[in-house]
Amino acid sequence: MVPTVDRLPVARPRRRRQLSRRFHQAGPGTYIFLIVVAAASAFPLYWSFVVASHDNSAVSEYPPVLTPGGQLWHNIGRLFNSGEVNVDFWAALTNSLIVATTVSFAVVMFSALAGFAFAKLEFRGSRMLLLAVVATMLVPVQLGVIPLYIEMKDFGWTNSLQAVIAPFLVSAFGVFLMRQYIVGAVPNELIDASRVDGCHTLRIFWHVVLPAVRPIAAVLGLLTFMTTWNDFFWPLIVLSPQNPTVQVAVSSLASGYVEDFALVLTGTFISILPLLFVFVVLGRQIIGGIMQGAVKG
Amino acid sequence: MVKYIRSRGRGRLVALLALTALVAAGATAGSAVGKARDTITLRVSLFGDFGYHNVYAAYEKSHPNINIVEDIQSYPDHHSNLAKHIATGAGADDIEAIEVGFVAQFKAQPQYFYDLRQFGASALKSRWLPWKWQQSIAPNGAQIGLGTDVGSLAICYRADLFKKAGLPSNRAAVSKLWPTWKDYIAVGKRFQAHAPKGVHFFDSGSNVYNAMIGQLNPAYYDAKGNVIVSSNPGVRAAWALTVAGIQAGESAGLAAFSNDWNTGYKKGVFATVTCPAWMMGYIQGQAPNTSGKWDIAAVPGGGGNWGGSFLAIPKQSKHPQEAYDLIKFLTSPASEAYVFKNTGNLPSQPALLKSQPVQNFRNPFFSNAPVGKIFANSALVLKPQVTGPHQGDIQTAATNATQRVEQHKQSPNASWNQFLKDVQNVS
Amino acid sequence: MSQGTAVEAVAIPPQQRRLRMRLRRLDGKVSPYLYISPFFLLFAVFGLFPLAYTGWVSLTDRNLLDPTTHFVGLDNYTALLHDSYFWNAVENTLGIFVISTVPQLFLALVLAHVLNTKLHGRTLFRMAVLLPQITSLVAVALIFTQLFSRDYGLINYVLDHVGIGKVDWEAGDYTSWIALSVMVIWRWTGYNALIYLAAMQAIPDELYEAAAIDGARPWRQFWHVTIPNLRPTIIFTVIVSTIGGLQLFTEPYLFEPDHYGATGGSARQYQTVVMYLYEKSFGSSQFKLGYASAIGWALFMLIAVISLVNFLIIRRIRSAD
Repeated sequence: MVPTVDRLPVARPRRRRQLSRRFHQAGPGTYIFLIVVAAASAFPLYWSFVVASHDNSAVSEYPPVLTPGGQLWHNIGRLFNSGEVNVDFWAALTNSLIVATTVSFAVVMFSALAGFAFAKLEFRGSRMLLLAVVATMLVPVQLGVIPLYIEMKDFGWTNSLQAVIAPFLVSAFGVFLMRQYIVGAVPNELIDASRVDGCHTLRIFWHVVLPAVRPIAAVLGLLTFMTTWNDFFWPLIVLSPQNPTVQVAVSSLASGYVEDFALVLTGTFISILPLLFVFVVLGRQIIGGIMQGAVKG
Repeated sequence: MVKYIRSRGRGRLVALLALTALVAAGATAGSAVGKARDTITLRVSLFGDFGYHNVYAAYEKSHPNINIVEDIQSYPDHHSNLAKHIATGAGADDIEAIEVGFVAQFKAQPQYFYDLRQFGASALKSRWLPWKWQQSIAPNGAQIGLGTDVGSLAICYRADLFKKAGLPSNRAAVSKLWPTWKDYIAVGKRFQAHAPKGVHFFDSGSNVYNAMIGQLNPAYYDAKGNVIVSSNPGVRAAWALTVAGIQAGESAGLAAFSNDWNTGYKKGVFATVTCPAWMMGYIQGQAPNTSGKWDIAAVPGGGGNWGGSFLAIPKQSKHPQEAYDLIKFLTSPASEAYVFKNTGNLPSQPALLKSQPVQNFRNPFFSNAPVGKIFANSALVLKPQVTGPHQGDIQTAATNATQRVEQHKQSPNASWNQFLKDVQNVS
Repeated sequence: MSQGTAVEAVAIPPQQRRLRMRLRRLDGKVSPYLYISPFFLLFAVFGLFPLAYTGWVSLTDRNLLDPTTHFVGLDNYTALLHDSYFWNAVENTLGIFVISTVPQLFLALVLAHVLNTKLHGRTLFRMAVLLPQITSLVAVALIFTQLFSRDYGLINYVLDHVGIGKVDWEAGDYTSWIALSVMVIWRWTGYNALIYLAAMQAIPDELYEAAAIDGARPWRQFWHVTIPNLRPTIIFTVIVSTIGGLQLFTEPYLFEPDHYGATGGSARQYQTVVMYLYEKSFGSSQFKLGYASAIGWALFMLIAVISLVNFLIIRRIRSAD
């Protein structure tokens, strides 16, 4: 039974579009489910904050310590005390911000462009090329580290932020995601109508596709931002603690054979504060932006 | 009718992107360090705090044209990156710390490091413990590193648990209990017979086994560089003895540095542990509530070592002479004595080990034991051992083998055979 | 060009019309290639060389530190076929993949559907499911190794109290797979849920309303409106999760108590293929870059086959049009 769109209720208020798609209110079971999921999602973060607020012996306490202690300020002080920790966390946070923001924007833009082309434009070789895009994801990244490092050496980019930005400005994941989304979310009729109106392709992209992909663009941007922020494997090799991202900075909190977990988790706590800030301040915009409709006719 | 969203949002997006690109370009350009033309910057790469901060300051004072920058990365990352950096020919610092667990694989390819003999290191040889000096000598005779600290080895034991199990708890008496490893395992049986419930004699079979192997020569490699694990009766004997201890219930079956091992200190789950000097700090940090309950006795068999590092100069360094001068200073008797005083890292030099500050050093946490004397003696007594490039992996395979027995995944014989297979796979 | 929709009533001179038509044809021909070029250009610079390099290296006996390298043809690949460690890793990878990926995608779908409803604090819940993605890996490693610790882990604490008894999660084959699957599901469900959620926004209200008017209850609406319209996205998540699941590395690597060696447990019970690759190349002193590259390409082929299979299975979801 295929639903048809030929009957519209009378006098539908415009605001309704902003509200939910289900027509039944969420029951208490739903809330319990969501609270459990939210608690499970948040618990490790909460616990790392707890460990950061104690001294190092608390991490192996049994029964585990679950409430914050009073050491947080002290540990944060240690983090920024250059006598104890010789990596600049401010620089690390700034660098990570630059890297993650640049990469996220670039990925969203380039993925939307390529995704649109693969989804809605007809051109020779599109199937093969799309397959090639997906195929690039199949090789494990760990292998590419050595040749990529050699390239960075040849470009003179070791120890610089270009090395952690440039290789990631496009992502096959993003292209594939956008393509799948646009296939479903942008009706062909819309594009055909624009063509009839005399729009060239760029205009169609700008005025039809981009508005339609706002939800997935928000999600892709957010996810790319977070995975870039947390990336440790490659930055650890190509950057040094003199020009670090946060993961490199956290690694340099190492203290030899005996890890000071309280200090390390204080470092990670500080390193996610900007992310939390982005969440809280822009969260409504971004996550809420997922709500704002695609183009519907 | 085609709908358009407000174009403001998109315009803002593009402007932000352009701005970010500009900032990125500016930031990367500005991150180049500006320095005076005749100042040399030496970069030192370590895997933790070696206690050198004030030592650097003193050196910079006496060498005004030298600027020292320290890079730290965590233990596995540091060594993994070192390998990648020297393989790709870029990214290594002027001075790289190499821990003893990794020195064998790097010295097997000495062409990547400066032979310190060309700077006169041979004249310094008598400074160091013979086995320490020998650990960083490549097969072709090149000396690629100068020794920093050593871990040495003793047995840290819980005097209170020994008492409960009816064993002597005074450290002289305890040291007399186990002149050999066979005695150690036998004492373990006595202990288990009357031990408090849930308490084991030692923490992990692999720690005991590794301590035994450390006293063998040859152990895994012969002088020609062949792997002799399957044919060396000493290795088989060490394995058999360890397994005997495990099967007598003496092992708590823990993996070193795992969560349960950490918590095990707090809960008093094991009564003895093979203890390098730096383990003291670890125990104090993890189980502060056990202060005064611990003591230290000599390790069976005479001497041992767990840990310790070397400072090497990769050929990538553009300032090898200055780097050599610095590592000579960092490993000088005065520096090592200073580091010992401030961090407790045991010096690797006999003169220092026999000196008053070390010999008189006591630790109240460990019932005021003369830990300096005990660890120093253990380090002085140890004999050199031939090592090979895959030393670390063979040790990992052995650790896995003992764990498989402890976890009841394989019988001892099956585990041994698997161990031999693993050794073949890694070499 | 005009911005409005009305067709201009003024006649366009034929010369201009021909020019416009030519430009339009050019635009239609060239634009697609232009739009995909950023991806392929950047890939050509940063992706192609590494791929070609590892492809070439897989045909040699390249050792990371040893400068002497010899061409060995397909020797590495034939050695792989007889490598019991490799096949053990394949088995582990497939096992963990099945246990972790299938529940994860179902859960993500359910979660997205729930997050799509009329809820108080909806934005808060949506943000909460992303928290696993911003939790640092150090914290993740600490938490999950603690949770599944044999003696003092929280899960064993509960199991002990309810009478089931403690389980040595890390030591067992299936138990370690389950522990790792929990870790993977925890980390990636919210990620996929948000992708589904975004795709759900593109489904017009009218379809649901029409279905409701036709008498369909919420469950039927889910099956007959949501899922068919989500089909391209579901295909995406299945393929990407297949790729990611078969390339699993970070979670098992963090789960191991002692990272040096990356053996995946005392009996390699949870060593995945990429972990084995890592062990052979950088994670130990073996430094067998050539052999590791061969493992990488063998994995490529394995992933290609399984992705194709999954794609053919999922494709059978009824399409929306």
